[in-house]
Amino acid sequence: MQKEFNKKNLFFSKINRKLTLLFVIVGFVAPALAVYYFYTVAVSSFTEYIFVEQISLFNIIAIIIIILISINAGIIGFFVSQSISKPIKQLYNATLELEKGNYDFRVDIKTNDEIEELAHAFNLTSEALAKMEQERIEIDNAKTEFLSITSHELRSPMTPMKAQLQMLQEGYFGKLSKKQKESLSVIIRNAERLDNIIADFLEISRIEAARLKFDFRETDIKQLVKDTIAFMQGFAKEKNVTLVDKVKNLPLINADPDRISQVLRNLINNAIKFSDENNKIEVSAELKNDFILFGVKDYGRGISPDNQVRVFEPFYQVESSTRRKHGGTGLGLTICRGIVESQKGKIWVESQPGRGCKFNFTVPLTPVIDIEPIKILFSQKDVIERKIHEEFKAVLGPLGEVEFNELKNKNALSKDDLIKYIDSLNGLYILVPEKSEDFKNKIREIFGEEKEILAEKKNDMLYDNIEEVMLK
Amino acid sequence: MQKTILIVDDEPDVRDSVKIILETKGYKVETAVDGDDCLKKLNEIKPDLILLDIMMPGTPVDEVIKKIKGIKIAFMSVVRISEARKRGLCKQENIVDFLQKPFNVSDLVDRVGLILNE
Repeated sequence: MQKEFNKKNLFFSKINRKLTLLFVIVGFVAPALAVYYFYTVAVSSFTEYIFVEQISLFNIIAIIIIILISINAGIIGFFVSQSISKPIKQLYNATLELEKGNYDFRVDIKTNDEIEELAHAFNLTSEALAKMEQERIEIDNAKTEFLSITSHELRSPMTPMKAQLQMLQEGYFGKLSKKQKESLSVIIRNAERLDNIIADFLEISRIEAARLKFDFRETDIKQLVKDTIAFMQGFAKEKNVTLVDKVKNLPLINADPDRISQVLRNLINNAIKFSDENNKIEVSAELKNDFILFGVKDYGRGISPDNQVRVFEPFYQVESSTRRKHGGTGLGLTICRGIVESQKGKIWVESQPGRGCKFNFTVPLTPVIDIEPIKILFSQKDVIERKIHEEFKAVLGPLGEVEFNELKNKNALSKDDLIKYIDSLNGLYILVPEKSEDFKNKIREIFGEEKEILAEKKNDMLYDNIEEVMLK
Repeated sequence: MQKTILIVDDEPDVRDSVKIILETKGYKVETAVDGDDCLKKLNEIKPDLILLDIMMPGTPVDEVIKKIKGIKIAFMSVVRISEARKRGLCKQENIVDFLQKPFNVSDLVDRVGLILNE
């Protein structure tokens, strides 16, 4: 971070102060020594001629000379060090620019010495960085473009393929035997699945290229959730899962109902997969300050803390066996994240293994028209770890570095682990309660939770506990 | 009276599949391989509906549809309707439907029936 601007720093940077002091000392000691020698030599050679008055005059002159020389030396020292520290300051500011990602920044230092060489090397480095950044952007665009084109190309042959298969199935070319029908339905099911994967790829390429389309209009969220639940009822029935509508009264908002419904369908679909027979799934939506908070809560097997971060990664499956068992493309939650984050919303999961989980997402009341590209193909885990690392260093200083590494080695960087860890710091009086609460909220935020909901978290927990007691 | 449908698609497999489906359902079906071919065919026949792919080589579709007056057009495409709208393709008033590829056979039949029977 850039330090605040003040006069002291402008005139006397650290180098300035050190060098000026050095010059003053040298300027003081050198003439003092010279005068001292001159004095001793003079006194020893001309002892009999020196009067008392002359000695005191000598003393005064010597002191004045010493003071004048040291002042001069100080002034010279100031300018000399200024000439060194100024270009260093320039270089420092330039590195700050680099840190901000401004790779076109160049320093212009003409001191004809090592610092100029250093500045030249710096310019070369930032040039190289700029080139790398340019290449990175190009590769990134090429990747998105490739994904988009490939998906379209893959989709084209699906059209006649699906059509012909369905024609066979529907008896366009005569009746089929039972075995033929069975074989055909396997082919059709898998063609369908392949097509779904391709469609999801396309959706991801749109999200990554900020080409996702939103069609905003006045939307009745309550009705929307109701319709979505009705639509999903068919899927829920297969497992005899009950879908419970817990939506409170909401004002009409300007949003894209199809996109919200798409996210909800994905989450409900997911919840059904992880529910056991006869479970229920609760769908909620409530108004918070400037957004609507949606929730899909199931009472299935839950997700372990380790997996909670990673469920939004593409093709990430909680257990490798689940995909085969449940079908699905493995891209549903990734797309949900893309849609929600394109609207500057948040999406996260809370879960306790064995007790089900709740997926939350938020939709702002004012729609985001200018969509920005979102990198959803990256592993979120690395990004989150980096942020936690920074937070540790910021809150705990050098100790944070050590502690972070230790937690990382113990593989204890999940949200729950970190909250527990911060509580333990609080217990050891390393952090005051207020600060540790801030720290915890920062951690929760890093894990994607919406800031304003955190404030209400305490009350919710209390409420959960009451509910538990009542159930007993 | 038997209705006539003109299928315009650069992919022969798509043309053939749709042709068989619609002929089975009792329509008279003509085919064209691209936009230019479509306009040439329109000099000879006057179909009741044109099923038109949006992405084809040759003359761009937006220029082709400007020259088609008084005949219903239904688009077929792998791109989404929102993208077609963005390209300003769906404004013309004789454009009556948008079939997302890959389509279901029953869906195709239903929608064509709906368009031609109204």
